[in-house]
Amino acid sequence: MNARTVSHHGHYRSTRIPWGVIGSYLVMIFFALLYVGPLFMLVNTSLKTMPSFMKDATALATELHFQNFIEAWNKASFPKYLLNSVIYTVAATTIYIITAVFVAFPIARGYIKFSGAVLTLFVIALFLPPALIPQFQLMLHLGLYNNPVGYIMLFIVNPIGIVILVNYIKTIPRELDEAAALDGCGYFRFVWMILIPLIRPALATVIVMHAIGIWNEVIAPTIYLTSKDYYPITRGLIVFQGVYGSNWPTLAAAVLLLTFPMLILFLFLQRYIVSGLTAGAVKG
Amino acid sequence: MSYHFGRGWSKLTPYLLLLPGLLFYFLIALGPSIATAFYSFTDATGIRNAPVHWIGFDNYREFLFMGRASLDNLEALKRTLIFSAAVTIIQFALGLFVALIVNQNLKGANIFRTIYFMPVILGVVIQGLMWSLFLYPLGGPAAKLLSLLGLRSEFLGGPPAQAFAWVIFIQIWANMGITMMIFLAGLQTIPAELYEAARIDGANAWQLFANVTWPLLTPSVNTNLLLNIIGSLQAWQLFLVLVGYRNGTQVLGYLIYATGFGQTSGSVTSSFRQGYAAAASIVLFLLVLVIGMTVQYVLQRREERILG
Repeated sequence: MNARTVSHHGHYRSTRIPWGVIGSYLVMIFFALLYVGPLFMLVNTSLKTMPSFMKDATALATELHFQNFIEAWNKASFPKYLLNSVIYTVAATTIYIITAVFVAFPIARGYIKFSGAVLTLFVIALFLPPALIPQFQLMLHLGLYNNPVGYIMLFIVNPIGIVILVNYIKTIPRELDEAAALDGCGYFRFVWMILIPLIRPALATVIVMHAIGIWNEVIAPTIYLTSKDYYPITRGLIVFQGVYGSNWPTLAAAVLLLTFPMLILFLFLQRYIVSGLTAGAVKG
Repeated sequence: MSYHFGRGWSKLTPYLLLLPGLLFYFLIALGPSIATAFYSFTDATGIRNAPVHWIGFDNYREFLFMGRASLDNLEALKRTLIFSAAVTIIQFALGLFVALIVNQNLKGANIFRTIYFMPVILGVVIQGLMWSLFLYPLGGPAAKLLSLLGLRSEFLGGPPAQAFAWVIFIQIWANMGITMMIFLAGLQTIPAELYEAARIDGANAWQLFANVTWPLLTPSVNTNLLLNIIGSLQAWQLFLVLVGYRNGTQVLGYLIYATGFGQTSGSVTSSFRQGYAAAASIVLFLLVLVIGMTVQYVLQRREERILG
């Protein structure tokens, strides 16, 4: 290339004004506004009364009307929906992760015949048609439609997590298995007591990815759950929007009640969330 | 591979413990996925114990060739392609641009990176409600901005094409963080010495990008393109939250859901036609497959040319 002929023009890091840095900050701030703006509007609205929102939706809240949060908490049946979401997420994730470790370990070690083929079997689902309709028929015929157990069953499978676990377990030295076995450690005890603590980073990634997916799920509850008693919080919010759609201060408070815990969780688990969701993005 | 944890019958322990995970997977994912093809040739409904008949290609014929409804379906198919192309191209370009900016060791860059990734964990319901409020037509922030220019808009409640464009925007807003993070991971694998060497050779910022960054970023370019294309062809959840099942905005994913599980909204009514919805699923699946394979082939050729 003719890179040599263009010398000396690229020295923007001179003592003069660092336009590159200024420009970068401007771009970053512009995008940050796009991301924080809607959140800020939500907070601002949640602190207003309905009349002041009607008068001027964007004016800064002056009265700090926390009543909206109390109202949203009660009217949106938050405690009930929240509890449902927690139950679904914890139950399905627990069942999933335990079964997944016992699938991933023998595949990674070749302790079962055709372990390569079994792994392929798991990967293949990512490239097959969506299972939506037959899944529904299955639940219908098992009598698990509008049933929390059926709903949880939908979420005890996740092939990407298996792939992540297999890859991570492969980095754990095989000699460990031999040494433990020589000491008389059984298969189950090895996986449970020795392997699981060793693969914690991968477990955290997979758990976080899987749990967030269940927590945020919005389609499955509209398909499978018809009784209000079983709604998770996502469905509850949509119902609440349907009823209080025009009362934005209360609706905004309801949305925030759900947003804040997620954001705090995000700050603490950021590393695992990022690696989990960028890996989980395969699902689309 | 040799197994150390015992002999004889105890060698079966791994199989036994693997069984639950494998069974669940067959029952809930793999089996139903394959059964979609079977259902697409039937007149199955969402009613329990209703008889199911084999009707051959009728669903496909109806979906693609019969009357007004099939024209609507083809419109939805076209819209799916437009949605996917717009989301893929813009999200890819913005994600790369932002990743390059955030990657420059500037103070506070980490905070910005976190902010851009935030919507990903919030999920579609919160994303959707946030933007519904921001786009509140009666004096919301976006309406205020427009009114400065002397313009008015109904945003999500406006003409279908407009609502559709807003969903594209919000879809990109929500998922750009993933694209950015994948690019950032790729950028971190490029050795700093390469930049040093090129700089000594007198390369300017653009030349550094074109001759070092871009070619070495090929793996994450491929990942992002494929993920974005496949993901956006199947994405429709934001439509559900933001505009509902509205004529002139439907994409294939939403159409499948609406025909399969019944959805009434305004003038559009549908029933639980699950065989028909399964056929539509297969059409979408074939679309994803053909486009995905083609892109994969092209990307692989390109990678061999650049890195091979």
